Amino acid sequence: MRREPIDPAGLAWARVSPKYLRVRLLGWLISSMFWLALLSVPLILRLTGVWDSFPPLGLAWALPAAVLVAAVWTGLLLPRQVAAIGYAERNDDLLVRSGVFFQRTLVVPYGRMQYVDVAVGPIERAFGLCTLKLHTASPATNASIAGLPTNEGARLREQLSARGEARLAGL
Amino acid sequence: MNEDPASGAPAGQRRADFSLISNPDDAWSRVHIISPLVRGWIALAAIGFFFGRDWFEGLFSDEGPAGVPGGLGTGWAVAIVLGVVALIVLAFLVSWYFTRYQVTEEHVRVNTGVLFRQNRQARLDRVQAIDVVQPFLARLFGLAELKFEVADAGESAVRLAFLKLADAHRLRATILARAAGVRPDPEHPDQIQEAPEHEVVAVPVSRVIGGALLSGTTVLLVAGAVVVVVITAVFRTPFAVPTLIPVVLGVVGAYWSALNTGYNFRAALSPDGIRVRYGLLDTRSQTVPPGRVQALGIVQSPLWRLKGWYKITVNVAGYGAAASSEGQARATLLPVGTREEVLRILALVLPDPGTDDPIRVFTAGLESGGSAGGFTTTPRRARLLGLLSWKRNGFAVTRTALLIRSGVLWRALAVVPHERTQSLSLHQGPLDRRFRVAGLQVQTTPGPVAPRIRQVDETLARELFHSQARRAAEARRRSGPEQWLMTQDTPPSDRPPSRPPISQPISQPAEPARKDTPPHEQL
Repeated sequence: MRREPIDPAGLAWARVSPKYLRVRLLGWLISSMFWLALLSVPLILRLTGVWDSFPPLGLAWALPAAVLVAAVWTGLLLPRQVAAIGYAERNDDLLVRSGVFFQRTLVVPYGRMQYVDVAVGPIERAFGLCTLKLHTASPATNASIAGLPTNEGARLREQLSARGEARLAGL
Repeated sequence: MNEDPASGAPAGQRRADFSLISNPDDAWSRVHIISPLVRGWIALAAIGFFFGRDWFEGLFSDEGPAGVPGGLGTGWAVAIVLGVVALIVLAFLVSWYFTRYQVTEEHVRVNTGVLFRQNRQARLDRVQAIDVVQPFLARLFGLAELKFEVADAGESAVRLAFLKLADAHRLRATILARAAGVRPDPEHPDQIQEAPEHEVVAVPVSRVIGGALLSGTTVLLVAGAVVVVVITAVFRTPFAVPTLIPVVLGVVGAYWSALNTGYNFRAALSPDGIRVRYGLLDTRSQTVPPGRVQALGIVQSPLWRLKGWYKITVNVAGYGAAASSEGQARATLLPVGTREEVLRILALVLPDPGTDDPIRVFTAGLESGGSAGGFTTTPRRARLLGLLSWKRNGFAVTRTALLIRSGVLWRALAVVPHERTQSLSLHQGPLDRRFRVAGLQVQTTPGPVAPRIRQVDETLARELFHSQARRAAEARRRSGPEQWLMTQDTPPSDRPPSRPPISQPISQPAEPARKDTPPHEQL
């Protein structure tokens, strides 16, 4: 993984599980199929002659084509997006990075943590993964790390809670 | 009627919640008996209007009172109305009877509900703000509502509506004294005096009106009028007056709320924090204890520049991000003020500005562009990203706060004390990367201020990101205790029983600011 300009120097990012890519791909596949099927309806109705003239044939073709292009594009980006997710525990704070085109690096001091969530969805559970989310007093703090192996998620949760308690600092 | 059944009765007879009382000395009290009527007057007025109108109209028609089913007479109609009113009043009374509150050494507790009972308990030292509100009708009865805010940003943790005004003030003083860690006088535990205060800013009515007339609303109104006139002139369409009615209503509403919430605005300093009072019909008195302001924003709409006026809004954890005019008014620390007053309010919120020349730094943040006052702006190579704003975009760091400057027409300066930073994030989109710049966002509790630095040099942004994280951690370690009058080196029992003089707790760190902007000299 190459270093981006906004990445802090001298920091080793912990990466999420490679299995998370499969979770994302599966999710991507399902949502792409859904949208493709939905937006193909006018085309099918037009071709079967149920609808006569209203959607011009070009438009009826363009809808699923656009979905297909968008799906392929996001699908191609997925591996890089998953690879771009990283987190690092430092002495006083947790760093979380994400994004390929729109990159973001977030730092959350342990003392500012209000609570930690660990959530597991059905697909994630099948792959033994979980999503960890950190909450501060600000709802704008969007500190979630998806695709952690379950035991790593549990370890991180305990670690964060312990460190948060040690550095507790009200608001 | 106001006699408290919970205190002094044998324990066996009490309801289940009696066991929750840890300290029987702190008696349970009820809100004022007529408060349900003040709260529910709209329902009663609606019933009165609905039936009254039918009855009144019936007087003038030949068929007798209309709208009564089955041809019943007037007597029945009156009886039905009275019955409904009596039922509502009874419901009010029952809900009033079952609503009780208690303030102990550490908690405030409120029990409400008849079928679904709710026992709520909030820690006093978690207080973020206390408001004493008097809606117009309550004001006529001499009543007030007390709101106790904690940091969940939802509705008020504790709302006591309504109390007698004097009781509300006494309760607020008690809560603040206990939350501050002041021990009561052992011989007179009931006599807790309201902390003394010094008025810092009083906004004259003329300026509130002027501020409303010169506000952004007016700018938009004028711009809209120009557009309408141009369109009618160009297309020769008839001028449709009715379409303007909602616009006029909106504008009048905006002016009214500016006047209603800015009228008689006063800000004062007390050991309990910043006190703010305002209101024309509804009056409100807010107390924000020290260290509860999470971020502060100073804004200036284009026309205010003529007069040099500014508005100060704050993020306070308990106030949340309500978009209503009431919510906006609560988060306003100065509706319209001069630069000198802005600096005085800043001295209240940020007693130690953390620079040797605060006036120069803050003035540069308010008024100028470029690097004056130690600001770092968008580099010249990225000026295409903000043709007008690149010189104004910028940040400055003092020992105690981060200053973020932005806006050319609508000038804004956001101030975030280091120890109040919740988290920081560094952003870079593809366009930013092309110009080697990055943005930095500081997350604070919800509110009108959203501190965000745009388009600074990426190396500088990364350095700021790390140094800011470090500074925030250091400032948090140094920051005072939640109980703001309790210092760590003196145990609570050694504190003098009465309130300390005003200069003791606050002026010590405030010294650098006071030299330049003395709040007391304006008294």
